[in-house]
Amino acid sequence: MSKSLKRNLVAYGLVLPAFLVVMLTVAYPIVLAVIQSFQDSKTGAFTLDNYAYFFTEPAQLKNILYTLYVCLMTVAIAIVVAYLLALYLRFVRSRIAKTIGTLYLVPRFVPAMCAVYAMITIIRDSGLINRIGLIFGHDVKLGLMYHASGMIMMNLWFNIPFAALMITAGLGAIPDSIIEGARDVGAGKFKVFTSMILPLSIKDVVVAATFVFMSNVGSFTTPYLMGGSAPKMLGIALFDQFNKYLAYNRSAALSVIMFLICSVSAGVYIYTNLKENEWEK
Amino acid sequence: MSERKIKLQIKDMTKKYDNGDGVEHINLDIYEGEIVTFLGPSGCGKTTILRTIGGFLDVTSGDITVDGQSIISLPPEKRPTAMVFQSYNLWPHMTIYENLAFGLKLRKIPKAEIDADVKKYLQLVSMPGCEKKYPGQLSGGQQQRIAIARSLMLKPSLLLLDEPFSALDAKIRQQMREELKKIQQDLGITVIFVTHDQEEAMSLSHRIVVMNKGKFEQTGTPAEIYDKPATLHVASFIGEMNFLKKDGKTIAVRPEDLTVSQGHGGGQFDATVRTIMLLGHYVVMTAQHGEDVIKCYINRDLSERLKEGDPVSLAVGKHTVF
Repeated sequence: MSKSLKRNLVAYGLVLPAFLVVMLTVAYPIVLAVIQSFQDSKTGAFTLDNYAYFFTEPAQLKNILYTLYVCLMTVAIAIVVAYLLALYLRFVRSRIAKTIGTLYLVPRFVPAMCAVYAMITIIRDSGLINRIGLIFGHDVKLGLMYHASGMIMMNLWFNIPFAALMITAGLGAIPDSIIEGARDVGAGKFKVFTSMILPLSIKDVVVAATFVFMSNVGSFTTPYLMGGSAPKMLGIALFDQFNKYLAYNRSAALSVIMFLICSVSAGVYIYTNLKENEWEK
Repeated sequence: MSERKIKLQIKDMTKKYDNGDGVEHINLDIYEGEIVTFLGPSGCGKTTILRTIGGFLDVTSGDITVDGQSIISLPPEKRPTAMVFQSYNLWPHMTIYENLAFGLKLRKIPKAEIDADVKKYLQLVSMPGCEKKYPGQLSGGQQQRIAIARSLMLKPSLLLLDEPFSALDAKIRQQMREELKKIQQDLGITVIFVTHDQEEAMSLSHRIVVMNKGKFEQTGTPAEIYDKPATLHVASFIGEMNFLKKDGKTIAVRPEDLTVSQGHGGGQFDATVRTIMLLGHYVVMTAQHGEDVIKCYINRDLSERLKEGDPVSLAVGKHTVF
């Protein structure tokens, strides 16, 4: 056996266990699900009905649009707030900024279930805010529970720290001297932001946005505990199809639809990463 | 000299950092068309002064004027200064053209004029034709030349350079010094240069300000600083210097100001040859005198007649007593 062949075999041997695990637990179920999504539940014949169901049934179509609405709102608000927070943490040197810089990641360490229940006890119509209102003679009904705005609020709790973490890392990589150089040649603060800080950090913003979007398309805990019965987030709709209606072919089709929604965002992510190479190579 | 126009005046300026470091009671006049260098070890406050002039640091007290106008309340973008930073900070996401044009665009200069200027200044720094490249595609020396061009194009009243060549290798540094000096002469601008490299300061400046621990130790022409160091620190910091103790005083004498002769008794100091090193057209000899090791430059002829352990005597020429 030649030396290089032996080395190749060792290399393949090292990769093989990981490769097999991925193939068995990820690739195989995906392929199976895609096949199943095109099969009739009774006869097993090829059909597009499973997909058609989600786009023609008004309730199901509403679920898709509702999910997109919640995800896009979450992305938009989370990114704007996180960007402002990251700018503050990067450019303000004060004790308050330092404290916030240490604490802003704490929400990431609270288990999702605990955080959701904590939020519910505060915002529900008989929750903390309501009770404080009652002390002052006002019966405050926020109406956030079982409503998109409550879920978006909860999503922000999870996603702002995450997005801020990514954007802060990006802003941290911009040296002060770049900003000083720009001010030296006559750029005011606004111009420094639009010409230097924004273009140098936009990639991190887009990447953070894609991550926030993807993690919310299939979210389950928050919509399960805080969402209404109709329309539903797709994670709950999928749960219903699979566990309540035992409609495995439709479940498979919905999974593929969710995957395709995510892949749009994955596409944006890959595109952004490739594009920067123009000036970074 | 007295009728020359004062460009920059620093009046009793103090800048204290929160930790107590900084510079105090700085007074300095810089004349139009002059290259003045702040020279000193790192942490001596030279960059602090430069950054207060550029507007990147507030002064604690005192005043700085350019052409008689106080500039301390102006933000960097409103000051008539341009700074070249140590870390040639070109904007990585912009092409060389965009880097050079950025400041001019902010000044609403017509595009045709900007194009012509970019071409002219790239020529000036010997980098024609690189408009479309990105900074990442240039070497350190090339980037720094672009950074200098970028500052010059704004026709600053005062050009500030903060150790601009320290990240470059020796040969390019030499070349950049010559180019900077030539550009300065051609354009007649006033330059303030910060460095810790005494050779750079000597070769580039009209006047040098030697700094130590936040204070000015000496201000003068390179020749004055070299020939008549005001303090022991200046004497030891600039060039090679021997310190000989005699009658409780320290005599500072440069290696080239010692005359070496064979045998004892021919000069003020008797010594023994320690090492002889040939450095091309001249020879460095060190000699042992009591505890001290004395460095001298001797010619090839004498070096061939000497060997280690031989007695020599040293006659002191030009010197300073502390």
